[in-house]
Amino acid sequence: MTDKNATPKFAGVWTMIFTDVHFWVPTIVLLAGLVVLHWIR
Amino acid sequence: MILPSIESARLRKLQLVGIVCGFGAGAWLGAAEAPTKLVKLGVSPLVVSLLMVVGVFLARWSLPALIRGTGQVRADIRQAPHLIVWGILAGCLWAVANTLTIFAIRDIGLSIAFPLWNINSLLGIFWGYLLFNELRDAGKIRWLTVLGGALLMFAGATLLAVASSAQSPAEHPLRGIFAALGAGVLWGTMYVPYRKAYLTGMNPLSFIAFFTIGELGTMLTLAVAYGGGPDALFHQLELAKPVLFWLMLGGFVWVIGDLFQQYAAKYIGISRGIPLSNTNQLWGLLWGILVFGELRGLSTSLYAQVIGGSLLMAAGAGAIALSSVTGKEHARWKQAADREGQRYKVDAGYVETGLSGNDSTNPGSQVSIQSARTWLDWLLVIAATTIFISLAVLARAPNMALNWPALAALAAAMLIFLFACGIALWKTTRFN
Repeated sequence: MTDKNATPKFAGVWTMIFTDVHFWVPTIVLLAGLVVLHWIR
Repeated sequence: MILPSIESARLRKLQLVGIVCGFGAGAWLGAAEAPTKLVKLGVSPLVVSLLMVVGVFLARWSLPALIRGTGQVRADIRQAPHLIVWGILAGCLWAVANTLTIFAIRDIGLSIAFPLWNINSLLGIFWGYLLFNELRDAGKIRWLTVLGGALLMFAGATLLAVASSAQSPAEHPLRGIFAALGAGVLWGTMYVPYRKAYLTGMNPLSFIAFFTIGELGTMLTLAVAYGGGPDALFHQLELAKPVLFWLMLGGFVWVIGDLFQQYAAKYIGISRGIPLSNTNQLWGLLWGILVFGELRGLSTSLYAQVIGGSLLMAAGAGAIALSSVTGKEHARWKQAADREGQRYKVDAGYVETGLSGNDSTNPGSQVSIQSARTWLDWLLVIAATTIFISLAVLARAPNMALNWPALAALAAAMLIFLFACGIALWKTTRFN
């Protein structure tokens, strides 16, 4: 028997993460860092 | 739910622990960069970085298991599962930054690259203020101290960068400066996940466990993608066999420094913790000049520039560190912690005990009972120890001129910091 609440709860956490500025600031900096690394290597 | 205040005596103790850990982090992080000098021996920078990360991975799974047991990690996952994402993200940032530092060292040298990537402290102050209420309601004097310290650090970094243009050993100094600055930005931003985790009450020993997954995954991907594929990487690893131990040891040393840095970030915030741990720049300079003979044969004025720049940076870091957190500012930290707890529905008791350095699995106590270790913990410790001993047996001393008395003196200083930080953490928080 599956837990009916499990999926909505999981989806809810991801929604909170993706709408959190604390997630996007490091993510964008990480992508920029990869671009710099690609250039200088 | 609003979290209760931490009593002022407890707050002072935690700040003192944070300051001691910040200085300890500087000594150990500074020493950890020394093995990257081996890049000049013909090992690819990506392989150097990968091998350091493997050492970091081993240390990061075995040290927490030895200190507290992996039970703490499971408890933290139950309370705040969303932080796994930030742990992995921080690991990715670290891996890219560390790779950039290897290129920076190759292009402009350790003594110069260090202060450039240490701009991460300025960024840490910015993110701490903007995202986590650090330095809010701190008063004019503390603002002045922090900003004055930041300006001193900037002046010191500029002086060192100017000196670099006169003695850079590389064909691509501009590329090296970009690499070092890029690493600084990535590392400065890496403290956003750190601070988020510790405001929520997570134990630093748990956070670094998730961190390693992002770190090793990113580093492997970079090494395969930029190293010419799996076969080329394997070939490079074969070539690096004699120095495997030294590079992984560098990673191990780095983990100890980083652990202290994490505790500093937790108890004095990133705006103060990062500048303190950035005294690693001075330690890096000492290793570079005393042990590896860097900057030999330069003019007196260039020596004065490099040393003066380093002292300016250290003075700036010291000023920032001495601007202690007031009760009002700490109340703003708690507001940020409340916000995190409410957003992700984390238990308020867990957040409060974590912030006050108590045991989240035993909220009533000032310090925790020692967590029980399982067979898994001992297995992790034994496996990591076995790997390191095996590699040490295979290792050959790099064919480099080293100043051994200076090396022994610096190693002794590191051990003193290790004991001082370990005792302070144990007495006050039982490593919580």
